[in-house]
Amino acid sequence: MMSGNFRSASVGWVVLVCLVPYRTLTSTDAAPICTNAQAGCHVLSLANLFDRVIQHSARMHGISNDLHSEFEQYFLPSKNQIGRVGRNCHTSTILTPNGKENAQRMAREELTEVILKLLVAWRDPLWHFHQNMAHHQHGFTTFSSDKALEMSDMVHELRKGVEKVAEKMQLLGMMSDSVSSQASSEALLPPDSAEWRLMKEYDLLYCFRRDSNKVQNYLKILQCRIVPEHGC
Amino acid sequence: MMTNVWEAVVLLLLPFLAPNAEGTQYSPPGKPALTRCRSPEKETFTCWWEPGSDGGLSTTYALYYRKENSETVYECPDYHTAGENSCFFNKNDTSIWVNYNITVVATNALGSSFSDPVDIDVVYIVKPNPPEELNVTIMEDKGWPYLRVSWKPPQKADTRSGWITLIYELRVKLEGEDDWEMHLAGQQKMFNIFSLRSGGSYHVQVRCKPDHGFWSEWSSADYIKVPDYFHREKSMWILITVFSTFIFLIFMCFLHMNSNSLKYYILPPIPGPKIKGFDKQLLKNGKSDEIFCALVVPDFPPTTSSKCENLMVEYLEVYVSEEQELILEESKELHNSLKCEGSTSDNDSGRGSCDSHTLLMDKCGEAKGDERQTDGEGHPMEMEAQMHQRDWKEGTLSSAYQDIVSPDMSSGRVKTWPSVFSPLHQCGSTSLNQMNSLAMAKQHCLSDNLSPPGSASSFLPQSGRSTTETHRPNYCEFYSSDKQLSSPKPQAQTHRKLQAHSDINISHKQAGLQSPALRPTEYVEVQRVNKEDMVLLQPVESGCVCGDGCPQVCQDYSKVKGLNSDNMLLLHRDVMEGEEVRSHCEKQETNGCITSHITPATQKPTDCIPTVTPIVQKEMGLAVSGYVDTAAMLTLPTH
Repeated sequence: MMSGNFRSASVGWVVLVCLVPYRTLTSTDAAPICTNAQAGCHVLSLANLFDRVIQHSARMHGISNDLHSEFEQYFLPSKNQIGRVGRNCHTSTILTPNGKENAQRMAREELTEVILKLLVAWRDPLWHFHQNMAHHQHGFTTFSSDKALEMSDMVHELRKGVEKVAEKMQLLGMMSDSVSSQASSEALLPPDSAEWRLMKEYDLLYCFRRDSNKVQNYLKILQCRIVPEHGC
Repeated sequence: MMTNVWEAVVLLLLPFLAPNAEGTQYSPPGKPALTRCRSPEKETFTCWWEPGSDGGLSTTYALYYRKENSETVYECPDYHTAGENSCFFNKNDTSIWVNYNITVVATNALGSSFSDPVDIDVVYIVKPNPPEELNVTIMEDKGWPYLRVSWKPPQKADTRSGWITLIYELRVKLEGEDDWEMHLAGQQKMFNIFSLRSGGSYHVQVRCKPDHGFWSEWSSADYIKVPDYFHREKSMWILITVFSTFIFLIFMCFLHMNSNSLKYYILPPIPGPKIKGFDKQLLKNGKSDEIFCALVVPDFPPTTSSKCENLMVEYLEVYVSEEQELILEESKELHNSLKCEGSTSDNDSGRGSCDSHTLLMDKCGEAKGDERQTDGEGHPMEMEAQMHQRDWKEGTLSSAYQDIVSPDMSSGRVKTWPSVFSPLHQCGSTSLNQMNSLAMAKQHCLSDNLSPPGSASSFLPQSGRSTTETHRPNYCEFYSSDKQLSSPKPQAQTHRKLQAHSDINISHKQAGLQSPALRPTEYVEVQRVNKEDMVLLQPVESGCVCGDGCPQVCQDYSKVKGLNSDNMLLLHRDVMEGEEVRSHCEKQETNGCITSHITPATQKPTDCIPTVTPIVQKEMGLAVSGYVDTAAMLTLPTH
């Protein structure tokens, strides 16, 4: 009797001991999920994430605006050139809502995807733009060159930020998982996106200024749709 | 025929000849110009243009636009909504982030003219309407009022969906003033204004702007009047003023009552000269003799106990001239008075370092020897001696050094006085140079105490003074070397002897001596002879003032009994004892120590017996009565 009890108890203990590491193993496979109450994990709320991302995009747009103004001062392209036919931003293939209703009609996932597409599309052109500025100067000051570099970095950072926001939204169940993750964002690039190499620097800046404004506006729309209590 | 031709010509020329007053030159219209395009909410926009001259004919304007990357030309959909010379684009026709190329065409019967094309992107031409529902209220914060301003965004601008982000700015001014106070409120729709003037009436206005766009117009002003809280402020200020005045009055009373003590606290009185015995009243009286006598300090210089043994007792013959006698008497009286009154001055005041009794005692080791000042000033010396007796360990010695200026200085009587100070040659090898250097170093000590000799002609005083100066360091140094010496007592003798010796030496060296008038004029009295064959000399005094411990005062002069083969003066006492005193030559014991022989005319102060002897012998001749006449000795070379 004693031995039987002892055996069952030991079996129970063994099972318990075996289960515990299994649980820890399973838990370590997935990415740690931080809840608000969990210690040692700095949790950012969605509203907080949105704030950061929007501030980031606002700064990015500001820099692009400055660079564009500088370009206009230096090169003074005639007014006719601005609206000339044929000037085409390489991101014009990406379908973006051009009005409030269009933007509001778009689903969150769609809107997020548009944002990501835009950001991805500008990564390479901005990098090359900065390289051109650093090497050739073209009468630019080092200040402009620094801005170009900052712009290039910001696009990269902003993309990561938006991806995090998307993750968070998916986590919270606000968004379906149809939004592409980081791995597949490269697939967002249009196939014939190499035409940006043909763009002149001024046109590039013009296009980017507009696209950064779009990104900022779309993010704001998303924020007011998802976390409306925050400054909307 | 002719008239027909003329009529035809007139008819032909008529249109040209007719005045243009009422007729207009018809021409194609002037070039219009697009002045501005604005969008109030980023959903619609309006463009206005300025027409050119119409050319005299009715002109129509048409606006055509083309969208980016499209060749299709559209005409303005609405010319009327926005007023004259405008084109309104409604929501359906407006695309954001699209470049519009807009041109205005003016057309009349004669032609048309195109304006310059304008490119716009709606995003960058947004100028919202002013904020609405401005509301200003007065709130209170701990009794202090402030304004709370609140408003709403313009109705058309859709900020709720995040389509437009507006930032606000408000301005405030007092009624009647011209300067506005601006406040940037950011994205919030509420603002607090503090620091209000009580009873003032304020105007408040607010406006807004999108992130990238134009400022709206100012909203309609809202007026508000701040209630009076001035009385509360005023009462507080009155209270503060009264309280501070009260405190101020108390403070002034305090100051007034304690003005004297405060004055001393803040500006302490400058201490006056602390020369011992220095008496302002005497100065005012003008009797210099009295002043100098008053400066006599009984207990200075401190007696030195010479460890040199084998000191010969020296006697100095003091010669007093008539006039100096009088002065001496005066000074004696002064000293008497002084003595009775006691010294009122500071023991340490007015002395140089080497004059200080304590310093010397410290520097030279234990007080030693009994020293008698040969040229006494009379009472002061005696008094000093008596005072020192107490201090000294042996208790048998008394020292009487004076650092006071001799009253005789002025009269040139000095010699004896310097001899008093001229102490000792250093025990040990002393070079003249050393002495001089020391003299130089300590000259200031002496000068403080010495009054310059009255007569420059009297060389002796000078020499005396110089000797004093030179001797003084010797004196000090002698003390320092005292430790080498075995017995303190003989030192006194040595000292005494040395003193006289050096005196004479130096004075002789300086070749100053000569004038008989410079002879020392004071008598030296041997007070007693102690067991160790030391003669205690003391200045002679007419009166018999005697302090403590001076039993044999006023009694006897020392008599030189004779000179022995050892070049020693033998003195004996008339009254008490007929002892013979032997002074010893110290020189044998200590190296370089000056013998006690009186050598007025020796070249070197360290010389001992040989130089002394002849002089002494000569002196012996002079000293018939047994007194040693230092003056005679000093003047010896001249003979």
